[in-house]
Amino acid sequence: MKQRFLRIGRSLALGLAAFAFSAMAATAQPAAIAERLKQCSACHGDDGVSKLDKIPSLAGQPEFFILNQLFLMREGVRKIEAMEGMTKDLTDDELQALATHFSKLPPKASGEKVDPDLVKRGEALASKMRCASCHLPTLAGQEQMPRLARQRIDYMIDAMKAFRDNKRSGADTSMTAVIVGASDADLTALAHYASQR
Amino acid sequence: MNSLRSWLGATAALAVLASPAFAQSPPGFSALDKSDPTKSNQNQGLKPHPVPPTVTPVEKLPVDKIKLPAGFKAEVWSSGHPGARTMVRGPKGTIFMGTRAIGRVYAIVDRDGKRQVKTLLSGLTQPNGLVIKDGALYVLAINRVLRYDNIEDKLDNPGTPVDLTAAFGLPDTVHHNWKYADFGPDGKLYIQVGANCNICEINPGIHGQIRRYNPDGTGMEVVARGVRNTVGFGWHPVTKELWFTDNGRDWAGNGGPEDELNRVAKGQDGAFFGFPYCHANGIPDPDVKKPNACVGVTMPAALTGPHSAGLGIKFYTGSMFPSSYKNVAFIARHGSWNREKKYGYDVVIARTSANGKAKIEPFLQGLLDDKTNQFFGRPSYVMQMPDGALLVSDETSGAVYRISYGKPRVASN
Repeated sequence: MKQRFLRIGRSLALGLAAFAFSAMAATAQPAAIAERLKQCSACHGDDGVSKLDKIPSLAGQPEFFILNQLFLMREGVRKIEAMEGMTKDLTDDELQALATHFSKLPPKASGEKVDPDLVKRGEALASKMRCASCHLPTLAGQEQMPRLARQRIDYMIDAMKAFRDNKRSGADTSMTAVIVGASDADLTALAHYASQR
Repeated sequence: MNSLRSWLGATAALAVLASPAFAQSPPGFSALDKSDPTKSNQNQGLKPHPVPPTVTPVEKLPVDKIKLPAGFKAEVWSSGHPGARTMVRGPKGTIFMGTRAIGRVYAIVDRDGKRQVKTLLSGLTQPNGLVIKDGALYVLAINRVLRYDNIEDKLDNPGTPVDLTAAFGLPDTVHHNWKYADFGPDGKLYIQVGANCNICEINPGIHGQIRRYNPDGTGMEVVARGVRNTVGFGWHPVTKELWFTDNGRDWAGNGGPEDELNRVAKGQDGAFFGFPYCHANGIPDPDVKKPNACVGVTMPAALTGPHSAGLGIKFYTGSMFPSSYKNVAFIARHGSWNREKKYGYDVVIARTSANGKAKIEPFLQGLLDDKTNQFFGRPSYVMQMPDGALLVSDETSGAVYRISYGKPRVASN
């Protein structure tokens, strides 16, 4: 029930954001960053902590990571339908301002249900797959590598699947190389573990 | 198969948790990869450098840091094209530039004495491979081969390309499969297919190759095997033999194995260059072992330094530089990531000899500060201009530097 409500809330938010966007495009004036942020907040949360299924939290992500991903979405390299309209008219400076904003917000856990057994299994897997080598031992991320700690579990599972199944290009191909052959169960365990860091 | 795999995965994970054997369990990044950073005695936090996707302002370009032999000078030739890598020149003078993660192909033209940069294509998956042939631009992204005929007549609207992807049938594995490609003196299109891991048993029928094709994608032949990751090659102007750079494996120490400059000697098409069993001048791999690992392996023409990442290579045939540079190969070294003390970030020359060996000498330096272990730019590819000047692309700054010799010239922008 709660899930369903969230989903309705999400499409509503998307619809509103899309409306706001087209209204703005009509004036042909670059919106102030505050205006842009309202659109972002509709899905990613006022505080950059997402309350919506499979929508990532942005709070505390490395500045470069956000800039780079917004850039790749604007250019159509990383294809996320809901983000196409959001990013297509943003200038490099606007992308940078959004990245700076979200990178400074404190990251918070999503409140999703966490399975302690999966966390334990994920920890062993993360050690074996050496996630910390790029994402840091705290999993806080750095430069082009995202923060995983306190990220949404459902989003991370989807993101890892996209890398594994050649459906997403990152800043590099390393992530695809790391995650090749991992099972859905492995990815779920990794996500439960990472969310708890 | 999938359920079998996840069942195996779950069992393996349970075994990992249940037994102290975890420490000895097969190491590596993935099911495929055998590298073990913890055995390498390297800082476990080493990681690839980010490439800025946004424009570096002209005043921040590191051109003043560049040091060259006496008589040579460097100037900014163009900038404002983030992710600058491969360069090819159309018959009408347009410079086309490929990139990786940023997914763009640029066209750089001179208009009214000013250099203009235009994003020609965007949204591609790592379009590093660019080739010009008979007025057509071939764009090779990861598992995509596109051809834009008469491209210089439609820079404002390149339109729909001829899609040759199916004809070439390249593997869709992404790692080490951003492309380098060029037409050889035999009229064939040469394309690399890198190893899809850092270090692993590859399928030698697919990966670790340089191949050649007819321009329409038919008639594939394997020219070189056991090649980990070459993203630059060229033909000697006199012998017409193929020379290529090759990037050595990571996580086997700060000292190497060193990267390589290799030659496919006449009559040696299909020669084996050692990956994954044998590296550099005959170093057996510590993780993928087999008896007599270096037997039958063609040794490199020269070693090009530990983790130095030699990318673009061009033999110099111009008349601007002193005659001692004639037929000398310029190699852009992108610079190390998997090395605590950084190395490379320069352009070197290779003086090749008929016996297939080469001597490496410094040429363009100054983009790496040894004292602070900081780099200011990453030379990626080199190209010779009709006047004999050398263009060097810098991926980090999204700029191209023009290297000239002799009387100073006035920059045109």
